[in-house]
Amino acid sequence: MRRALRAEWTKLRTVSSTAWLLLAAVAFTVAVGTLATASVDTSQCPTPTTCFEDTTKLSLTGVWLGQIAVVVLAVLAVTNEYGTGMIQTTLAATPQRGMVFVTKATVVTATVLAAATVGVLGSLLAARSILPGNGFTPANGYPPLSLADEPTLRAAIGTVLYLGLVALLSLGVGTAIRDTAGAITTVLTLLYVFPVIAAFVTDPQWHERLQKLAPMTAGLAIQATKGLDQLPIRPWAGLGVLAAYAGAAMLLGAALFKLRDA
Amino acid sequence: MATTRTYRPAVPAGRDGFGRLLLAEWTKLRSVRRWVLGLLAAAVLTIVISLLAAAGSGTDANQEPNFVVGPDGQPVVDDFHFVHQPLSGDGSVTARVLTQEHSHQWAGAGVMLKEIATSGSPYVAIMVTPRHGVRLRSNFTTDLPGSTDTVPRWLRLTRSGTSVTGYESADGVAWRKVGTVDLHGLPQSVEIGLFVSSPPEVVIERQAGSTSVGGHPTSGTATFDHVQVAAARPQQPATWADEDVGRSPARGEATETGGTFTVTGSGEIAPNPPPDDVVQTSLFGAFVGLMAIVAVGVLFITSEYKRGMIRTTFAASPRRGRVLAAKAIVIGVATFAVGMVASVTAFLLAQPILRENGFAPPAFPRPSLSEGPVLRAVVGTAALLAVIAVFSLGAGALLRRSAGAISAVIALLLLPVIVAGVLPTSAARWLMRVTPAGGFAIQRAKEPTEALVEPWSLIGPWTGFGVLCAYAAVTLALAFWLLRRRDA
Repeated sequence: MRRALRAEWTKLRTVSSTAWLLLAAVAFTVAVGTLATASVDTSQCPTPTTCFEDTTKLSLTGVWLGQIAVVVLAVLAVTNEYGTGMIQTTLAATPQRGMVFVTKATVVTATVLAAATVGVLGSLLAARSILPGNGFTPANGYPPLSLADEPTLRAAIGTVLYLGLVALLSLGVGTAIRDTAGAITTVLTLLYVFPVIAAFVTDPQWHERLQKLAPMTAGLAIQATKGLDQLPIRPWAGLGVLAAYAGAAMLLGAALFKLRDA
Repeated sequence: MATTRTYRPAVPAGRDGFGRLLLAEWTKLRSVRRWVLGLLAAAVLTIVISLLAAAGSGTDANQEPNFVVGPDGQPVVDDFHFVHQPLSGDGSVTARVLTQEHSHQWAGAGVMLKEIATSGSPYVAIMVTPRHGVRLRSNFTTDLPGSTDTVPRWLRLTRSGTSVTGYESADGVAWRKVGTVDLHGLPQSVEIGLFVSSPPEVVIERQAGSTSVGGHPTSGTATFDHVQVAAARPQQPATWADEDVGRSPARGEATETGGTFTVTGSGEIAPNPPPDDVVQTSLFGAFVGLMAIVAVGVLFITSEYKRGMIRTTFAASPRRGRVLAAKAIVIGVATFAVGMVASVTAFLLAQPILRENGFAPPAFPRPSLSEGPVLRAVVGTAALLAVIAVFSLGAGALLRRSAGAISAVIALLLLPVIVAGVLPTSAARWLMRVTPAGGFAIQRAKEPTEALVEPWSLIGPWTGFGVLCAYAAVTLALAFWLLRRRDA
C-alpha cells in the first residue's frame, strides 16, 4: 500500500502540469475572491447595517473559478495514463486494481485538500484586510472575519471539503470515461450548466428542486453564514448532495476500472 | 528496340486547392465517430433541455388583477387622474398648464380625449413633461414629440370625425400643430378633459439567482387655467367629473377655484409587456448543447496534436494558415447546420408547451418565425453555436491541449453568467459587455431589460454577439500567428 501510494505521488508530482494546476487553483480562488470582495461595499445599501451581505461567502467566491483547475488536475491524473498508455505499466506493477484506484484517489484528494486550504485561508485573509475599508466595520455589524466564529469556520472547512469532493467526482468521471476532453466536459457541465438552468427556470418549485439537486449550488450552500433559513438546502445537507454525486462517480469509476480491460 | 513508355499513374495528381483542403477537413470531422456523436448530442441536448425549460416555466401574467389590455390587444398600464366631461360629436378641449411638479421625468400634465374613463380604452393626449417637452400620445404606441418647452404651455385637442389633432401654444394665440392621429372606430360620445400622470420610481435589485423589481409610486400636481371645452354642435352644459383611472396605489384628487384646476395624479400610461422572453426560453437548451460543441471544436485540432496527425496535415498542406481557415470553416458550417436544426426544432416544439403554461396571448403574443426578432433569435442560436465552435477551435490551436482549452472556453462562457447573477446591475452589464457570455443576448427577441435574472438581457443582441465574435476572431488570429511561428 505504501509503495502504491508512493508510486502515485511520484507520478503526480513529476508531471509539470500538476504544479501549475495547483498554483492556478490557489491563485484563481484568491484572486477572484479578492476581486469580488473589493467590488462590494456598503454604499450600495440604504444603510450599512441593512446590507445583510454574507461577507464570508463573498470572500470565498473564488472557488467558482478555482475548482476548474481542480477538475482538470483530477481528470488528468487518470486520463493522462490512458492517453499515454502508462496505465498498462501501472497495472503491471500493481495488479490489484482496487488498490491502484484507492491510492490514486487518496493522493489526488490529499494534494487538492492541501491546495484548497491554502486558497481558502488566503481568500479569508485578503477579505479580512479589504472588508473594513469598504464599510464592513464592526460598528456596522460586521466583526472581522475570523475562524473562531463558528459559521465562518464551517464555511472555510466546508469549502476545502467541497474542492476535495469535486476532485473525487472528477476522478470518478475520468476513470469511467477515460478521455480527457469527454471527462472534463462532463464534469464542467454537471457543475456549471445545472445552476445556470436552475437560475433561469421561473417555476418556483422546479427552481428550488434544481438548486437542491445541482452539485455546485447545493455544495456551495456550505459557504453561507447568513440567512440560513432562506437557503434552498441546509449547508451540510448541500455538501452531502455533492458527496452523493462524488460517491456515485467513484463507484461507477471503480466498477468500470475493475471490469474493463485497461 | 524496346520502346520506353513514360509511366502515367492512373490516379490524377492531387491538387492543393482550398476546396481539397476543405474536403480533407470535412472527411476528418465526419469520420471520427466521437465528434459526430458530439455534434448530434449537442442537437439532442439543445432540444431536450429547451423542452424541459419550457415545461418548467410558468407565468400567471394573464391572470394578474392589474392586467390591462390596450386597444390593440397588447398589455398596457393605464393609470392617471382624469378630470372629464362628455363630448358628443366634434369639438375641442383647450387648457393652459400653469405649473407642473417635477415628480418624475416622464410625469404628464395635459388634455386628453378618451373613449371611456376606463383603463385600456382608446385615447389621445397632449401633455407637457418636466424633462421631455411636449408630447402627443395615442393608444399606448403613438408618441409624437412637440416643442421642448415646459410649463406654462397652452394645449389643445380637436376632434373631427375619428381624427384628433393636437396643438400647442406659448400664448394661446399662435397655435402650432403637433400631429394628427386617427382613432379608428371612435364612438360619437367620448370623454374629454384634463389629466395628470406620474410614473412610479422603479428599483431593481439583483441577488444571487433572483431579481426583484420593486419601487414606489410617485404622484405629481399640476395646475391648469383657461380650461375650455367647445362642442361643434350645441349640447347640454356638462359638469366636470374626476376620478382615478386605473389602479395606481397613490390616490389622486382635483379641485377647482375660480377657473383654476389643481389636479394631483399618479401612475403611468404606457405599454407594459411582461419582460419574459418566450423565444429565448424555447431556445434555452443551447446552454447545455454548447458544452458538446466546445469539446468537438477544441478536439478538432488538439487531437491532431495529440496523435501527431498535425504533422501529416502540415506535410500535405504546408500553408498552415489555410489549414486553420479550412478547419474553422468546416467546424463553423457543420455546427451552424446542426444548430439550425436544433434551434428550429426546439422553438417549434417548445412554443406550445409554453403557451400551455401561461405564456399565451394577450400578455405574450404568439411568436412567429416570420417576425424579424424571432428569426434573429432562432438563426442567432445556430450562429451562436457556430461562433462558439470556431472560438473553441481557436483556443485549441492556441493551447494545443484539450484539457486547458475546454476549461478555458467553458469558464469564459459560463462563469460570467453565474458571477453576474450576484453583481449589481451596472457591474453585471459591464461584465456582459466584455466577456463572450454576452453572446447569449442574440437568443432574445425582446428589447434589453433590467427586470430579468438573465444577465445578458441587460445588453442588446448585436452588442453581445459582436463581443463573442470578437473573442473568436482574436483567438483565431492569435492562433494563426502562433501556428506559423511554432513547431508543430
